[in-house]
Amino acid sequence: MSVSHTSWTAKFLAVVRYEILWNIRKKKFLGMLILAFALSTLSLALGHIVSALGGPSVEPNPDFVIGSNVGLGGFGFFLFAIVTVMNTVSGEFESGTIVPLLAKPVSRTTVFFGKLFAAFLTLLVTYCFLMIYMTIGGFVVYGPQNNLHLVPLSLLGALFSTLIWISIVLFFGTLSRSSLIAALAPLGIWLGTTIIGQIVGALAGQGWILTYIPGTGNSGFANGGPPSQFAPTGTAVSTGTDSIGPNLISYILHPSREVTFYKINIEEMAHGQPSWVALYSEPLSNIVLMSIAVALVYFIVFVAISWYAFRRAQITE
Amino acid sequence: MRFVIETADLTKKYGPLVAVDKLDLKVKTDTIHGFLGPNGAGKTTTIKMLIGLLKPDGGSVSVLGQELGWDKPDVRSRIGYMPELPKLPKHLKGRELIDIYGRMYGVTKEERKKQIPKLLDMVGLKERGIDLIITYSKGMKQRLGIAQALLNEPELVILDEPSLGLDPVGMVEVREIMHEIAKEGVTVFLSSHLLHEVEQVCTHVTIINKGVELASGTLKQISAKVKGPVTIEAEVDKLSKAVIKKVEKLSFVTGVSKDGKKLLVEVKTRDDVRSQISQAITAGGGIVISMDSKGKSLEDVFMDLLVKHKRKKRSQ
Ligand SMILES: Nc1ncnc2c1ncn2[C@@H]1O[C@H](COP(=O)(O)OP(=O)(O)O)[C@@H](O)[C@H]1O
Ligand SMILES: [Mg+2]
Repeated sequence: MSVSHTSWTAKFLAVVRYEILWNIRKKKFLGMLILAFALSTLSLALGHIVSALGGPSVEPNPDFVIGSNVGLGGFGFFLFAIVTVMNTVSGEFESGTIVPLLAKPVSRTTVFFGKLFAAFLTLLVTYCFLMIYMTIGGFVVYGPQNNLHLVPLSLLGALFSTLIWISIVLFFGTLSRSSLIAALAPLGIWLGTTIIGQIVGALAGQGWILTYIPGTGNSGFANGGPPSQFAPTGTAVSTGTDSIGPNLISYILHPSREVTFYKINIEEMAHGQPSWVALYSEPLSNIVLMSIAVALVYFIVFVAISWYAFRRAQITE
Repeated sequence: MRFVIETADLTKKYGPLVAVDKLDLKVKTDTIHGFLGPNGAGKTTTIKMLIGLLKPDGGSVSVLGQELGWDKPDVRSRIGYMPELPKLPKHLKGRELIDIYGRMYGVTKEERKKQIPKLLDMVGLKERGIDLIITYSKGMKQRLGIAQALLNEPELVILDEPSLGLDPVGMVEVREIMHEIAKEGVTVFLSSHLLHEVEQVCTHVTIINKGVELASGTLKQISAKVKGPVTIEAEVDKLSKAVIKKVEKLSFVTGVSKDGKKLLVEVKTRDDVRSQISQAITAGGGIVISMDSKGKSLEDVFMDLLVKHKRKKRSQ
């Protein structure tokens, strides 16, 4: 018999190969690459666009690259997650290809994690290219860059920020077996937390809740004096999982940084005199740890549920 | 190992519908076993339980001597399986897919290099292996489905409706492939709703309807079971009661009925008794215009079993 007792890794890699080959030829994938470079180009060119529209002229910024979040930022991570894994499990069910696949002597656990790993590899390679592009572009647009040795951390943070959405998209895809739901349900969550969350958080002073939700998170300010009339000064800091990379780097560069959170005083706003009221402060280290922990917990929980559901799935297709 | 597939009380429900009902399926080694039944009989559902794609609601399954647990992939490395109208990833090339499936089976690189061209050639896809599956016709996908089921040199090949969607030439080719596989000592289990396919290919057959097994055995056994009475159909002019009486008196006749100008005579012998019947008709005053002997085909048996099953269900 020609079948040897192959190692688990060989089968795992076969699944990874299957997944990557399958995905790489889809038009969607090409679209994703174009979108990625468009987004990062936009983030590179934003300064010039603003100045062309009458804004301040572009100043050299030696911290541009390490703060750039691979040129994608929150919405970019979210879109990437959707494009990478919205079909990963649900697409197999929809096309019926799940039937011959699961008939192979590969356990469902191997199939599931092989697919997840393939998504991770896809992201890693794409983000590496983006990061190189941003580094060169940042140099051209914003002059010589500082702390380029921290670029890998930025990459790592971006991966982390994306993985949380990946697990959520996988979750909806596996449970619903529908790619549409896999894309739309997380979009609803993203919109909900981003838009409504921000407003409610800022106005009611309950922004801390956002710390526990994937996405932008709460907004505070570091390194600043007292807030001016209209906005706090200093460096804006987002606590959410979208900002793991920049916050991590910022922490390494300024280990003792404190972040202060404010709310808008509504009563005074009614008199045309909005002002910001400081609520509380927190060390940046806490914020970084917290966002990593939140990302990990979401990732583990959603991946675990998806994996469990996939293992038990009856293939009625 | 006596049985390659053995199920006991195997049951599967879809909500209130019992798709497979206490099935005791037994498939012997080195046979080509047909799993025959009309659409919706529960064939695909049964096969999916054999592969581990569906979880039984009751009963047990053992394949190649191994009890089938949930998500225990080992036994699958000894099975080849072609799903009903196989759905294969469109964005892969035929050859690529076979190669990746081969890796999943744990087929070594050298073996894959040797096997894959051979298999593609066998199913007539030698030239098209480098094309994306999206460009394949229905029949080509079917044949790629067969090729991928043979990758691991399986001990048991399960084919779910292998000739569905094939043209007559394709059907003949698939039949030849099945014979070829069987010659190499592989047990073939194939489902079909086509009687003549089973009749032409299989050594054994299990007939199933609405999830219930109606008959099982060698093709000969099943045929004999139903080939019992032969009906002789005679077209008779001046068909009178006297004619019927004369014919009824013949010792080998078990039943006579009239259908317009036609006289239907059921006989229990397989000898040619047409001249005796003809004589009896003439003796009763009738004139024989034509006469035809009709032995029951497997088709009749199949229909008989289905009708009986329906009646039984209704009377319950
Ligand atoms: N996913 C499903 N959900 C509900 N009923 C199903 C499903 N799949 C099959 N059935 C029903 O189960 C019965 C058996 O179907 P199937 O096993 O596909 O039969 P066959 O393969 O013999 O044509 C049919 O009545 C069919 O309608
Ligand atoms: Mg079927």
